[in-house]
Formats: sequence, C-alpha cells, structure tokens
Amino acid sequence: MKKYDAVIIGGGIIGSSIAYYLTEAGLKVALIEKKDLASGTSSSCDGNVLIADKQPGFDTELAYCSQQIFDNLSEELNRDFDYTQRGSIYLIESKEEWETAEKFVNKQRENGYSMRMMDYDRVHEDEPLLADDIIGGIEIDSDASIYPMALVYSLAEKAIKNGLHVYNYTEVVDISLNKGKRVKSVRLSNSEKIYCDNVINAAGVWAPLIGKMVGINIPIKPRQGQMLVAEKTFQIGKRKIVEFGYMMAKFGEKDYSRKVHEVIDKNGIAFVFEPTQANNFLIGSSRRFVGYDTRLSLDVMRGLAARAMRFFPVLKDINVIRGYSGLRPYVADHFPIVSAVDSIKGYYIAAGHEGDGIGLAPVTGKIIQNFITDSSWDLSIDKDETISKLSFSRLRD
Amino acid sequence: MKDNVIICRCEEITLGEIKSEIKKGARSVTDIKRRTRAGMGLCQGRSCEILIQRIICEELNLSPEEVYPANDRAPVRPIKFNILGAELNEKV
Repeated sequence: MKKYDAVIIGGGIIGSSIAYYLTEAGLKVALIEKKDLASGTSSSCDGNVLIADKQPGFDTELAYCSQQIFDNLSEELNRDFDYTQRGSIYLIESKEEWETAEKFVNKQRENGYSMRMMDYDRVHEDEPLLADDIIGGIEIDSDASIYPMALVYSLAEKAIKNGLHVYNYTEVVDISLNKGKRVKSVRLSNSEKIYCDNVINAAGVWAPLIGKMVGINIPIKPRQGQMLVAEKTFQIGKRKIVEFGYMMAKFGEKDYSRKVHEVIDKNGIAFVFEPTQANNFLIGSSRRFVGYDTRLSLDVMRGLAARAMRFFPVLKDINVIRGYSGLRPYVADHFPIVSAVDSIKGYYIAAGHEGDGIGLAPVTGKIIQNFITDSSWDLSIDKDETISKLSFSRLRD
Repeated sequence: MKDNVIICRCEEITLGEIKSEIKKGARSVTDIKRRTRAGMGLCQGRSCEILIQRIICEELNLSPEEVYPANDRAPVRPIKFNILGAELNEKV
C-alpha cells in the first residue's frame, strides 16, 4: 500500500512549487500530472515576476513577498531558470493616465516600494525606440523575469531529489474520503490507489474538475490569453515594458477607455513586451472568455501586432515567428485561492492565479507548506490577512 | 550517433540534451521543446521535429504513431508585424 503525507494534483508552476516546499520540509509527497510537467498554462504564458501590475495593499505585498523568495530560489535550485531582475516600465499615453499613474506611484512609494514617475525626456532616453508621442512612464525597480518552464523542471528536479514521486501522463479519477470527511485516498488512471493525509488541488483552470470529485464548486474560469513570439533581433527595449492601460484591462475598469480600435478593446488587448534570455522577445497580451478553447484568433494576433507597433514603430519590419495561447485561471476578485476547505479535512486548493501564477508560485508554495506542516510563519505578509484574502470561503455567496 | 551532434540548429540543442530529457519523463515532441527549447527558433521545428520524433521512438521503443508531433500554430511562415497589424494600426 502506497501512503503519502500529501498528493499534489497538477504539475504546473504551482504544483511544482508546492512539491518543492513540502519535500524540503521532509514530507513524503506524490505529484500527479495528466501530461508532462509544465504542459498547460505554465508553458503558454510569459515569465512575469511583477509588482507593477498589482493594486496597492495586500495585492502588492503578496507579489513583493514572492519576488523576494525568487532571489533565494535562484541559489537553491540547480537548473538555471533565467532569473533576471531588469525592472519594468509602464508607458503613459495621455494626461488622464499620467494623473492616475501619479496617484498610484505616490501610494506605492508611501508603502515603501521602489518606483518613480519618468518624464518625457527620461522615458525616451531610457527607451530610445519608443513612439515619439508617449508622454512618460513609471519605473519599477524590483520587477523580474524568468523562463517559466525551466523553473517548473528546476523545482520538480530538486523535489525529486528530496524524494518526490512524479506520476506523469497519469490522471486522478477519484478522491475518497473517510467517515469523518477526511481525505483518505486518490485513485489514478493507471488504476493504482494511493493513500494520503492531504490532497492539494493545484490544477489551475482544471481545478473545478478536481473540486467536483469531493463535491465542491470552485469558481475558477479559463480566460484565454494570446502572445506573439518575435525573431531574434537587435535590442528593442531593455526591460519589461507594459502600457498603463494593461492594468485597466486587467481589472476591467469600466469608466476608463483608451482610444483604440474596437478589436483591441473588445479582446482586452494591452501592450506587454518581454525580452527573453534567448535574445528574442514576447508580445502580449489579450484576455477573452472562450471556455477551454486554445485556438488562436487571427483578429487578436492582428490586434497584438498593431498595439505593439503603436508603442514601438520600429517593430514594423521585424518578424513574428509564432503565436500561442494559454488559459489563465480567472477568479472574479483577482486573488488566487490558496486555502483549506472547511468541509473536507486535508483538502487544499492552490489555484486561480490568472496571469500571476509564475510570479506568485514561490509564495503559494510557502503558504501551503505552512498550512500542512507545523513550521512557523516566516513570510513578510500578515498571516491572518493572507488566510482571509486567499480563502476559498470568501467566494461562497 | 554521438551525443554532441546538434539536432535543433536554431537553438543549438544536442542529441545528448534530448536523450537526457527523455530519461526525465518527456514523451512527445512538445515535451522536448518545452524542456530544451528545441523547435523554438526561427524555423519553428521544421528541420528538427521529425528527428526528435525519431529519437523519442528509438529511446522509448515506440512507433511514430505513439509519439505526438508538436502543435502547429500560426503564422505558418514568419510574417512582419506591419503585415499582420497594418489594418488595425491606423489612428482611430
């Protein structure tokens, strides 16, 4: 009879991070993944480790806490995952955006975060290939990028060294509870049955299916995001560059509208530029609710290209070599669910990070480690606030 | 064939690197792509995809039908930003 302290369902960035932190704490852990590691959302995203796109308060504190852990991780893990702390820039197109941006920056600075407004000269000096009419920017120092797939393998490989058992190309068929409504065992598609004290649902956009196995309704919806990959080229931009309108698109600000083509507006397209360690760059981003459909929309691709040229006209003669799309696990209040489930002992959810899963993976792993082991709370965020803001019960009506 | 032979020329990925990832659990061409970057370069796997499929078959003793090829994604050939986005780039 196989018996584990914890079974993690989902081999993406969240599941791997949890596997790493639980095995570091000495637990006996298995990870179940229906395909290969990093085969879902974690390989169809970008590598953001940002506080730039977070709202002041807990949202930023959580992301900042995770950023700090990345520093340690790059030393603790053996496989290089291209961690580069270049900082990021928000681009400002209008006076209206400038005013909102200034309020945002002042608030974040009051809270101790290292960022500042960039005037016209400063932003154009920093990024000489920018369109002439960009009026300014925000500079955020702590932001970083990673290569997400490498981080998944890196975390998993270290966890395997620590004793993790990975079942890849294996699905969970069924979760059994005992009479006290406590997690007892998990049945797998290879017809094995494994016993465990805890189950962690880290299945991202597929988390609702794993929720159904124990009769709970997890309100996560797949939200499709498309990206473009450009050829290797000369340096376009030095850092992570985002249009200020991205935040508006992310949080669905109703009374804010950009002067953009209907196709761009309708598909939540906002300019995101990410230079990679492979010397090419990625262009995002879009947000659409189309169920679990990952097919590319040509309209969205055209919108992404157009929006990118609006900020960097020099792109016009550069080649796009590929488009890709991924499903982001969306939760209505934009916070992930990292939580125990009151009605089922030993069942945890760690999913719903939408576009923040890469950046929040380390802190998510640490929080689950804290829930399951008796380790003391060693994170910079407040424990009670974390539990309540990320709780599953907050989403029940 | 020697392990230092380059299979993916765009990203300079060797046979040895590919075999090592198969040992760690990779089973499809896309698995190899994610783990090594083979097929992520300018030609998007047009040169190396078939080779990688064959390497997986040989290492795991599978037939080609059992090894998934990479996902095909637009654009079919590299296309300039200007051609893709021109229509939507007009000032509105």
